[in-house]
Amino acid sequence: MKRIIGIALALALAAFAAGCGTNPDNGGSTDGGGTGELTGKISFLEKWPDPQYKVIFDKIVADYIAAHPGVEIDHQAVGDQPIKDQLRVLTSADELPDIFFAWPGDFAKKFIRGGFAADLSEYLNGTEWGDSLAESALGAYKYDGKYYGIPINMNAKVFAYSKSAFSKAGVQPPTNYEELLASCEPLKASGYTPIAFGNQYGWPAIHYITQLNAEYVAADVRNADYDPAGGAFVDPGYEKALQTFKDLIDKCSKPGSNGISHETAQAELTNGKAGMQYVEVLEFVSLTNTETVPESWLNDWDFFAFPPIAGAAGTPGAITGAPDGFLVNGKSQNIALAVDFLKFMTSKDNAALIVKDIGWPSPVAGSAELAQATPEVQKAVTMMSAAPEMAIWLDTETHAEVAQAYLAGVESLLNQDLTPAQVMDSVRAAAAKVKAENS
Amino acid sequence: MTTATSSPAKTRMRRSRIKLTPVRGLIGLVLAALAVLVVFPLVWMAISGFKTNAELYGDPWGLPGEWRWHNYERAYEYGVIHYIGNSLVVTIGSIILVVLVSSFAAFALVRVKIPFSAPLTMLVLGGLMLSETVALVPLFRIMRGIGLYNSLFGIIILYTAFRVPFITFLIRAYMLGLPQEVYDSAVVDGCNTWQIFWRITMPLCYPIIISAAVLQALFSWNEFVFALVFIKDDELKTMPVGLMTLQSKLTTDWPVVFAGLTMSAIPMVLAFLFGQRYFVKGITEGMGK
Amino acid sequence: MKPNTVRRTVGYLWILPALLLLLVFVYYPIVENFRLSVYKWNAFQPEPKFVGLGNYERVLADPVFWTSIGNNVGYAVVSVVFQVGIALILAAVLEGVVAPRLRGFLRTIYFIPATISITIVGLLFRIIYQPDGLFNSFLALLGVHSTTAWLGERETAIWSVIAMSQWQNLGYTTMLFVVAIQRIPREFYDAAAVDGAGPVRSFFAVTVPMVREMTTLLMIVTISGAFLVFNEIMATTAGSPGNSSQVLGTWLYQSAFKNDDMGYAAVVAVVIFVITFTAALLQLGYGRLRRVEQ
Repeated sequence: MKRIIGIALALALAAFAAGCGTNPDNGGSTDGGGTGELTGKISFLEKWPDPQYKVIFDKIVADYIAAHPGVEIDHQAVGDQPIKDQLRVLTSADELPDIFFAWPGDFAKKFIRGGFAADLSEYLNGTEWGDSLAESALGAYKYDGKYYGIPINMNAKVFAYSKSAFSKAGVQPPTNYEELLASCEPLKASGYTPIAFGNQYGWPAIHYITQLNAEYVAADVRNADYDPAGGAFVDPGYEKALQTFKDLIDKCSKPGSNGISHETAQAELTNGKAGMQYVEVLEFVSLTNTETVPESWLNDWDFFAFPPIAGAAGTPGAITGAPDGFLVNGKSQNIALAVDFLKFMTSKDNAALIVKDIGWPSPVAGSAELAQATPEVQKAVTMMSAAPEMAIWLDTETHAEVAQAYLAGVESLLNQDLTPAQVMDSVRAAAAKVKAENS
Repeated sequence: MTTATSSPAKTRMRRSRIKLTPVRGLIGLVLAALAVLVVFPLVWMAISGFKTNAELYGDPWGLPGEWRWHNYERAYEYGVIHYIGNSLVVTIGSIILVVLVSSFAAFALVRVKIPFSAPLTMLVLGGLMLSETVALVPLFRIMRGIGLYNSLFGIIILYTAFRVPFITFLIRAYMLGLPQEVYDSAVVDGCNTWQIFWRITMPLCYPIIISAAVLQALFSWNEFVFALVFIKDDELKTMPVGLMTLQSKLTTDWPVVFAGLTMSAIPMVLAFLFGQRYFVKGITEGMGK
Repeated sequence: MKPNTVRRTVGYLWILPALLLLLVFVYYPIVENFRLSVYKWNAFQPEPKFVGLGNYERVLADPVFWTSIGNNVGYAVVSVVFQVGIALILAAVLEGVVAPRLRGFLRTIYFIPATISITIVGLLFRIIYQPDGLFNSFLALLGVHSTTAWLGERETAIWSVIAMSQWQNLGYTTMLFVVAIQRIPREFYDAAAVDGAGPVRSFFAVTVPMVREMTTLLMIVTISGAFLVFNEIMATTAGSPGNSSQVLGTWLYQSAFKNDDMGYAAVVAVVIFVITFTAALLQLGYGRLRRVEQ
């Protein structure tokens, strides 16, 4: 009875709302969808609201609509940090867009497990489109032998460094980890912060840990641990990775990294006060943004890969990094249209546009040549294709609870509040909880 | 009479002034320092909005080498004005709705003879004891279910619903204090209830309605939880959430963020400076809660 | 008979909008929240699974939950000291010692931060609190050399946010005390002066007892406000580092929308409900008592 009254009230209110002239958007769409004609309305959510990126997506959307008069695209962009909650909020609200950004790893897999991601294999297996996309990038979104995601770029972590700082300090880009550590003293002596590091959001530290786990822990052990159903995290390499990271930051960075944003630390590098920073290849575009970077920096930088640790048990030469990509909502009314739009976005011409305007390495075959990518981007692409393993970001690769335990634990590690062993204890506790729920 | 009360006070003032000069000097210094402490970060924010990144990090205390209005233009272009506009819509909309709904309710509880008015009073005012955060998770399903998710109207409805108990409480207390004679004469004049409400009660309640409007404005202008969870589109975001978005859009460009923050702060500061009387009255009435 | 029924029904129409809004958007969700707190579900597994009191057990065993409560308590204590204690002294000093024109000017200045959205203040203080930010260079002026990342250290993060909150709200409660003091009849002070009381004694003998009502109300409002804190944290630390600056509100949000644990979040909501409901009961009870006394 109570429930009936509640429903009646809700209905009355809804009628009231409608009567007041608002136009509640119920998502999805109906007009003409499903008839085989590519018309209708799709929603599209990406995570690059920064104007320098957004113009590209705006243009691709506009071009697609111009070519398909019956199509409407509701395009939204939410920042890197907020999109993590936003996607969950949208999923709970049954408002998940037809096309949405998702990081590879468990972040994407939980959408797949819940039926919120469409299997795209039929569009990719043996098709021209499928063949045009790099298998390494597609594979990041492969789950149980099926493809679920369309990669839009390829990304890796490297150390960007100031050539003038290195020459002033008399150091060379390191070829092994010992040399990296050894370069900090001379850099400091020359008045530089050796490694600019800002960890306000937690992920910058996690990127180091991703790399160091790959160095210290064998790939098969890692893969088993990162899986929600299997995480044991007993390999001693995990603690070694944390300890190595801690030593590196203590020796080479300024204290208080948890209170500085990655971007603020980057300003230190570009303003000539730091020696190097561990950055994503996708950030090259902000490293060369003339609006925010002093001119002195533009010709003063280069980069090198994370130098290998001799004798470690992991994959030597592994590089941290993963493509960014889009999933198609498995409950969408307009899967065909959504897929067609993604196909358009990853056409050779559009991929070239992306490479040219924002310098993202592209998974689309032939686009780099077409766009004449900058030497830095070309070098990065070569580096990635030579890597024996790409390690996906630890905080999107693992289950959200394990990721949160790692994020909080490493922040505490930096503040001397927890030891590596204690951090691993909390990671193991989270993993055990996740394992219990997933088996 | 007037002189009799004011002159001892004056004596007291004068005497203490003579006796406590060093102490008074110290107090003056502390008060002035406090004023600087309060205002300086805000002035710094406005000035930093004119700087370059390098100036902001390299010389935080200095003035900008050049006053870059361009930063303010860019903040404007990146949607700050949209956010402020949405906040205005939500604030004004919810003020109108909450004052209307609450006045109706207060009027019903005070003037219209309805059965069960005591439990109904409890039911309306009992809402005072409930906070927005608690309802967050279930509200989510409701907003989605009735199609109010991601609309400014939905936000206005929520801001109204959660403030109805408080505003009703204020207006009801005021109505209880209105003299009965006014109503009697109105009834004699043949006014019906509707006419009594609009022609007699509402005009008499004007002072409390102004206070209620001020309190609702302060609430809606700053509300964050609902605006964060129930608005999806960038074009519909209100200022408090929109500024977080602006910051995540411009992670590398703090001067423009500061310009946006300054622009967003100005409307309410101006409203306060010009309508201070109403603010003070409003927040004081609000404490009667 | 008939017209009477019609009139009664019409009478209910006045209160109907308020009741509808309250039932649908306030009461129903809160009742529903209690029900949901015994289920486990999240955005990706929308079918709730009954777990009894399991969520409650998990919450109570979670150190982050207790950190959050502790931070809320810290927030409440500091806020009462500043926004009730110091604000009262400040108001008394303004009213008693400062020349009238300057008094109004200072009140206005002190109040300004309270008109500014917490998001603005939070984003501003994020930069101010950086290791090479304004706050540390201000300390350097005072001769204290510091490179602390105020929002980045476990020991300082929550306290820095609390300090920011005092900066923002001190003027607001001071204004309320000023109004309360202005309502005290002058004769009381004159009588105290005749008895030979100086400013300090008349503060304790006249001001404090005469504004007791405002003091009590502000204490209740400040304390329940401290348990509802959300925006201050979201705009600054979002609970970091290492969850050390979580409060109940942000922990609820993080559990629901970051950790995929809606049932857990519902339990945190129940805790917030119990605390703020108690505070509100005290407040209403006090209000009634006051009216009876008058």
